[in-house]
Amino acid sequence: MLDQYQKEYATQNVQFILIDEKGTILETDQAFLKLETNSSIFDVHAFFYTFESIKDTLENALLFSCVHIHFKDEDYVTDIRFVKKKEGYLIIITDYTSHYTEYQAIAQTRNESIINGELVAIKNAELEERENFKNSFIRNFSHELRNPLTSIISITKILSDTALTNQQQDMVTFLQQSNANLKQLLDDILSISMISSGRLKLRENIFSLSQLFDLLRFTYKTRALDNNIEFAVNVDKKIVDLVEGDRLRLFQVLTNLLDNAFKYTQTGSIRLDIQLNQKRANRLNLRFEIVDTGVGISVENQTAIFESFSQLSGEQNSDAPRGTGLGLSIVKGLLNLMDSEIKVISNVGEGSSFYFDLTLKQPLATTSKTSIITPRKKKDKKAKFRTDKKFRILLAEDDINVQTVLFKSLLDTNYFYIDLVSDGALVMEKLINEEYDLLLIDINLPNVTGDQVARLIRDFPFKNIKSIPIIGITAYSYEDDFKAFKKSGMNAVLSKPFEHEELLSTMAKYLK
Amino acid sequence: MQVSKKIVVLGHFGVGKTSLIRRFVEDSFSDNYKVSIGVHITKKVVEVSPEEEVSLILWDLEGTDDLTTIRDAYLLGTHGVVFVFDVTRPSTFQALNADLDIVRSKISKTPLLVVGNKVDLVLKEDLETLFTKNNIETNFLTSAKTGNAVNDLFLHLAKLLH
Ligand SMILES: Nc1nc2c(ncn2[C@@H]2O[C@H](COP(=O)(O)OP(=O)(O)OP(=O)(O)O)[C@@H](O)[C@H]2O)c(=O)[nH]1
Ligand SMILES: [Mg+2]
Repeated sequence: MLDQYQKEYATQNVQFILIDEKGTILETDQAFLKLETNSSIFDVHAFFYTFESIKDTLENALLFSCVHIHFKDEDYVTDIRFVKKKEGYLIIITDYTSHYTEYQAIAQTRNESIINGELVAIKNAELEERENFKNSFIRNFSHELRNPLTSIISITKILSDTALTNQQQDMVTFLQQSNANLKQLLDDILSISMISSGRLKLRENIFSLSQLFDLLRFTYKTRALDNNIEFAVNVDKKIVDLVEGDRLRLFQVLTNLLDNAFKYTQTGSIRLDIQLNQKRANRLNLRFEIVDTGVGISVENQTAIFESFSQLSGEQNSDAPRGTGLGLSIVKGLLNLMDSEIKVISNVGEGSSFYFDLTLKQPLATTSKTSIITPRKKKDKKAKFRTDKKFRILLAEDDINVQTVLFKSLLDTNYFYIDLVSDGALVMEKLINEEYDLLLIDINLPNVTGDQVARLIRDFPFKNIKSIPIIGITAYSYEDDFKAFKKSGMNAVLSKPFEHEELLSTMAKYLK
Repeated sequence: MQVSKKIVVLGHFGVGKTSLIRRFVEDSFSDNYKVSIGVHITKKVVEVSPEEEVSLILWDLEGTDDLTTIRDAYLLGTHGVVFVFDVTRPSTFQALNADLDIVRSKISKTPLLVVGNKVDLVLKEDLETLFTKNNIETNFLTSAKTGNAVNDLFLHLAKLLH
């Protein structure tokens, strides 16, 4: 009994077919393909055409695995063996459909996930490329803008020192404000591109929180008085004074948020509250919150206001005329860098509250030798120069506008003699043939660039040339560039547009 | 019996081998991807000149990024080879020349056509730069989706082999 069953099941998925050399079926069982003798194997399935090309060279056996056979509305996945026999050719077909179906499912998952992974990577690469393009575009574009803006700022300054009627004076004041706005905008755009390109690095230092808050109180007190708005900075008493973090960036975040609050608050109050969330080991977690009673922001706009260029894209919303929209996206980007996140709660007509939680390190008070950074007071005292002699300055600058402006404004001070060259290659020649007290050099000079010149000078064998003070002027304003320029041997680097006073005070440092 | 020619269609997985054959044989297309395993064989009779027909036996092979793993039995008696890559996925053509060398080492002296598929998804200009950059030469640029150049490809091959 048993071997009858065995025969029935064991042979069910294996079929034996005997054919002659023309492909005619001589004998077959009916295991799963119901075939007729004397019919042609070629009519069973196109696979069997292969017999034509193998029969002459066929020695013992040849196996084809995983062959799909479609026959009389049925699909089979089979292994097919050809064996040469005395009487003709034996074909052995084994039906492995269920086995191969499992394998197919595995291959399906594997291939799909590999392909998806690839497509995601391609998409990311594209996004990154576009982002890089955008950033380098912004960088170059702002570079181009800096030259003319430097001229405008300097000429406005010269103009304001001339005899003006009251009306003209008003116009010049207006011009100066616009210049300042434009410069701010340019700086903002650069900040954003630096943040999003990852070029902006945090610099942690030990600093005094109370001094930072005093500075904010001081900065916004007059503005609040002018606008008839109450302004207060409230600091939790439990917060220690000395902390470690990037003071400059924190200051930038807070001023951007406060500027924003002032811009949209006509009456009422603006508050900066700082609370201690948590203190653990040597870490403090602080909640900063800026609360205003201004126009407020509708729920729909509450995410859009943090997008770069949200306002520049042209969609002005009446209830959220948030300037250029750059300030808040800088805040978002900077806080991101500091592992924090800006949040907003607001009701239209009632006001807004912007807040974030920030972790700062608490330095161990006794071991710290790091100098405490105190905010650099904006120098308003005039740069001092000797009056008993005039200094000889070599100015190397190729932009004719900047050249004229610098030349004229330096000459007007009466402290200097000035020589001009507009080509990097001529600088060395001048230095060798004449004597100068200081070299003021544009970094982006034709032929030989400013930093190349600086390197040449510092390698020069004669001491009087080798040690001349060099101040670089650049339209670049990236930290990396600055470092590279200073490394080339420059004593100081100024980025365009700079103020007249800034230039003079820098020069004063090196002219004794 | 008609003259029959065996054509093997191979390449990396998911490049559209099955879709090209389906477009050619049934003039249809599906967006669904069903991974082929082993080999599917179909026959299509084409007219190479008036009154002259060839039946193409099309072998649609399981795709693989390692062409050395192709089962040798599948390649026996091959008359023509179509190597397909996917113009949207660099991994399928980055090592094209090396891949072709492997194929040629397995089936020498057989006409081989190189086909870039899915051209409906990319811009023509982008393709040109892509190909020059990767040092790639193709015989046909096809789209199984739109049918672009699919018939041309197989007819060209049929005439070539005839
Ligand atoms: N847009 C577009 N999609 C295509 C084209 N050709 C194939 N596809 C799609 O690409 C996927 C893979 O196509 P298949 O024909 O199965 O690819 P294959 O080369 O046979 O893949 P394997 O059998 O795994 O080797 C499917 O989702 C198809 O719909 C094309 O020309 N254009
Ligand atoms: Mg397939």
